[in-house]
Parts: sequence; C-alpha cells; structure tokens
Amino acid sequence: MEPLIKLENVWKKYKLGETEVSVLKEINLDIQPGTFATIMGPSGSGKSTLMYLLGLLDIPSEGKIYMRGQDVSEFSEDKLAELRGEKIGFIFQQFNLLQNLTALENVMLPMIFQQVPEAERKDKAMKLLESVNLGKRINHKPSEMSGGEQQRIAIARSLANNPEILIADEPTGNLDSTTGKMVMEILTKLHREQNKTIVVVTHDPNIAHYSRNIIHIQDGLIVANHFKNEEVLWAENGKTNLKNV
Amino acid sequence: MKAGDKKSVFMALSKLGGISNGVKEYFKIAIKSIARRRVRSWLTTIGIVIGVFLIVSLLSLSQGLKNAVLNQLNMIGKDLIMIMPGDISNFTSLVSGDELSDEDIKIIEQTEGVAKVVSIDYTSVVMRYNNQKKTVLLYATDWRRGLDVFKNDVGWSLADGRWPAPQKNEIIVGSIVASEMFPSLRVGTEAVIKGRKFIIVGILNSVGSKQDDSMVGIDSNIFASLTGERTGAKQAMAKLKAGYFPDVVAEKIKSNLNENRKRQMGQKETDSSYTVLTSEKVMSIVGNILGIIQAVIIGFASIAIIVGGIGIMNTMYTSVTERIKEIGIMKAIGAKNKTITTIFLIESGIFGMLGGLGGTLLGVLLAKAIEIYFQVHPLFYIKADVSPQLILFSLTFSFLVGCISGYFPARSAAKLKPVDALRYE
Repeated sequence: MEPLIKLENVWKKYKLGETEVSVLKEINLDIQPGTFATIMGPSGSGKSTLMYLLGLLDIPSEGKIYMRGQDVSEFSEDKLAELRGEKIGFIFQQFNLLQNLTALENVMLPMIFQQVPEAERKDKAMKLLESVNLGKRINHKPSEMSGGEQQRIAIARSLANNPEILIADEPTGNLDSTTGKMVMEILTKLHREQNKTIVVVTHDPNIAHYSRNIIHIQDGLIVANHFKNEEVLWAENGKTNLKNV
Repeated sequence: MKAGDKKSVFMALSKLGGISNGVKEYFKIAIKSIARRRVRSWLTTIGIVIGVFLIVSLLSLSQGLKNAVLNQLNMIGKDLIMIMPGDISNFTSLVSGDELSDEDIKIIEQTEGVAKVVSIDYTSVVMRYNNQKKTVLLYATDWRRGLDVFKNDVGWSLADGRWPAPQKNEIIVGSIVASEMFPSLRVGTEAVIKGRKFIIVGILNSVGSKQDDSMVGIDSNIFASLTGERTGAKQAMAKLKAGYFPDVVAEKIKSNLNENRKRQMGQKETDSSYTVLTSEKVMSIVGNILGIIQAVIIGFASIAIIVGGIGIMNTMYTSVTERIKEIGIMKAIGAKNKTITTIFLIESGIFGMLGGLGGTLLGVLLAKAIEIYFQVHPLFYIKADVSPQLILFSLTFSFLVGCISGYFPARSAAKLKPVDALRYE
C-alpha cells in the first residue's frame, strides 16, 4: 500500500551563525491515504517544521520525501507550488486569509492559481462556503468576521482544489473551546464522509482525541507513532487492513 | 485533426483562457491593494503625473502651433513669396510695427521673376451686425489686382454669395465670422465698421486657420479711407513668373529691397530689415524650431517620469515588505513565482497608468484652457492638438515605466521562501 506522503531518513538543519542546529533528526514517517493523523509535541519539538515538510513548503536538508511514490525532495519551488496547489490544502492557526479579499474571493484564490475557469470556480467556492454554513457571508471580508467564521473560510479554501490531503497547523489555537470543537467536527466529518486524509499538528491533547493515529515528536525525533485501536479505518480496493505498530 | 491533437489544442486554449481569467483576478488583487493605501498611492503617482502632464500639455500646444503655422503656409502656393518688414531673426524689428512702403512694393514688382505683387494690410476693428459687436481682423488688399491670386494661389473659395467689386463698400467674411461670431449673418445684409455701412456680399469657405477664418476682407482703397492709413502695407505677396525658382527670386527681392534701404538710410547692407520667405523656407524654419522645442520638452518631461518611476519602485519595495506573509500564503496555496511576479508587476503598472491618466487629463485641461484663453483674448490663435497618438503614447509609456520600476521589487517578492514568508511577523 503506497503511502500518500513518505518521509525517508529526513533531517532538517539550520545554520545559526557558526553552529548547525538539527530541528528534525532521522524522520521516517508514512502517511497512508484516508488517515486522520495528529502530530503532537511540545513547543520547540520540531512539529511545525515537520508540518512544513509534509506540506511540501520546505525541502529536507537530508533524506527524501515521496508523494505517491514520486521523489519530490529536490523539486524546484515552482514544481512544489504546483503540487501544493493540486494536492494539499492548508489550515493555519492564524487563519491566514487575504484581508483585502472577500470570503468568496479567498476560497476562489487557489482555483485561480490552477487556472480553473471563472464560472466553475465561483460555483465551487459558493458550494464550499455553504457546506461550512457561510453561504450568507460570501461577500464579507475576514475583518468583518469572527475567528470561527474565518477558520471555516480557511477550511473551505483548503478544499478548493479537491486536495488529497489537508494539513492543519494548530487549527483551534486561536479559537475558544466551543468554536474549536466545531472546527474539529468539520474535519472529522470530512474524514468520515469523504475519506479525506488529514494531518493535524497540535500541542493540545484534547484535539488529538479526534484522530486515531497519533504521532509524538520530541526534540526533533518521532518518539511514538500509534493507533488508538489496532484497527485502521481506511479501506482500499475493498480490503481492510490491520496494522500493528 | 486527430483526437489527440484536438485534446491538446483544447487544453492549450483552456489554459490560455484560464491565464487570462487569472490576469483579471490579479488586476483585482492589485487594485484592492492600491485602494487600501490611498494617500500613499496618490503620492506615488505624482512624479509620473507631472511628467506626463508636461508632455501632453506642452507637446499638444507646440504641435497645435506647428499645425497652425504650417496650415497658414500651406495656403501659400509654391510660387508665392511673402515679404514682411523686419528681420525674422530679430524679434523686436518684427513687432516694431514697421510697414512696407509703396516704394518697397514697386521694387518688389520690378524684381526679375516677379509676375505680380499684392499688398496686404490688416488691423483689428469692431464690427457691428444686428446689434452684436465683435472684434474682427480687417484684411485689406487690392481686389482688382489681387483677387485672382487669392482665388488661385492662396485657395480662397466662396461658400455663399459673390466676390466683392473693387472700390465699393462691399466686404466678404471668413467662415468663422459667419458661423460663430455672428450666427445670424446673411449674404446681402449690412454691417457697420467704424461708423460706415458695408454690404456683406460673400462668405468664404474655411481656409484652415482660425486667424484667417475670422477675417473680414475689404478693398485696400476703402481700407485706406476707413483707417486713415493711405500708404504702406504690412505684408506683400509676390507671384512668380513661370520658370523661376522661388529661392532665387526671393534672394533677389531681398537684396533689391536692402539696397534701396541702404541708399535711402545709409545702413549697412548686412543689416537686413526685410523678411522674404518662400513657403518651403518657412516650413523648414518652423519645423526646426518646433522640433528643438519639442525635443527639449520631451527631455525634461522624461526626467520627471524617471523620478516618478523611482517613486513607484520605492513604494513597491515597501508594499512587498508589508505583504511578506500574504506572499507566503499565496505560495502555500499554489502560487508559482511567476504568479507572484505578475501580481506585483500589474500593481506597479497600474501605478504608472494612473499617473499617466492623471497627467494626460491635467495636460489636456491645461492645453484646452490656454486655447480658450486665446479665443477670448485674440492675441494669438492657437489650437491644442491633442492627438489620439499622443494620449496612447503617454498612457502606454507610463504603464511601461510603472512595470519597469516594479520589476525588481516583484522579483524579490517572488524569491521569498514560503516557510520564511509564513513565519514573518
């Protein structure tokens, strides 16, 4: 079973003046299609850096990254951008919407970069916003909306190009617990109903409860990678697979 | 066409459609960014506005001046020579109010190669018609001798009525006198000039210059009795005999007149106080002078535009810095380097174009205002020539300056790494 994203012996190092600091060390990680995984770790553990690599926002200093079997470790910036646009949807802690654009325009933006025709992208954006209950706010700007509404726009945007994987970086970090719960339920629903592959990065154990696959990271190393049940949720080609870690 | 070919053509076309769709959205993004910082945006465009304003106003006026002069000259047939008192290179002598004496006219007539001389005099007078009073240019020539020169060589033609009879109180009017100054004017009716009644016997077709279309033609003998100026003329036109070269005859006229003046006043022969012009000579003088003026205008205006371009570059660098995080977000959701570059180039291009639009508008307004001023105070007839080419050039040039100025900032935006950009606070 080919993983959606595979990190093989990945290191990420930064030069701070004269010294070289390894933020990620010897990371080996497979994200299978249809997984809902949580990467958990304290502040400074390297979880954000790991997220950037999984999201193809950065390339490793050493090691390889494969996407559906294709080695993307040395892809150019433009090729990575193309892949990201097609296959990866992002949800950020700070929402990261473009303040000048309306909700509808924000959701349409990834489709513009993929050259989707106007009528089609408008239609799709409207449907996505309706699916997160923001159908009546499409012409409002992010500054006119609450945190929860902004994050829902971000979720809609992340789905614009029908990506294979959603990567959420502390998606509830700037939200109150009720709104945070609502956001996680949207993600859970996407996983359950559309079998979306979702990776959430967080330090909050309450958020981790939503997924079965928990990956613990500490000081740049993956220290644990387990499923809460031994049964794996995904099914491919009619077969269900068991996996023991 | 094979199915595979059809598919690839369709893909290419839809990509193109997508790209052009994308460009429309990038324009929207750029415009929203500009609108967000209104004051800064206006300040950014000022340099370009000034440069384009200078180009449009001064070039349109100088071109209008050129057209006016050349139009006047076009009236003059190739075998006509204009003689005026005063030296064209000595401005004060030109406006001193000197006149050609009757003797001067005789000398011109006797010069070899001259078939006929027509003397011309003019002055501003008030004409009264139907209780309306307007200032017109009273233009006097000897109808008997000069009418066919005006008809054949200068190109006058009648729109209505007939040519005046010599030595009668009959006048003809230019096209503007009939159409704009006195709209109710009819052939066969009376007008009053300096207390004397005249019958308007004819209306001329437009001869192409505002000055000439605003004139009222009168017989020089009547003019003499009307104004008290019995001798002399402000200008003379000499018609060439067939087979003579205009330049050669012009030189002869000039030397004959100067010799006579020298004899009369004992002045040095080099101290020329006559201007003898063939139409070609005038056209080339005018062309040269105005060409230099226009080159100087373009030179100065270009400096202003370059300074404006630097202003745009500065604003764009600031804009990029302010939007580092936004650039990171766009890259994260799939924008390639080229897309980021395009977005910022469009923004700087818009700055350029806004400056171009503002400058063009102000330039046209000023040129038209000057034109109207001289319509009301007829010291000088000038029409601003605001050609579509000038406007198109100004807008295109300012857009290009904007794009060029924005190139380096746009490139620096595109080079940002998504991770660094997203982390930027």
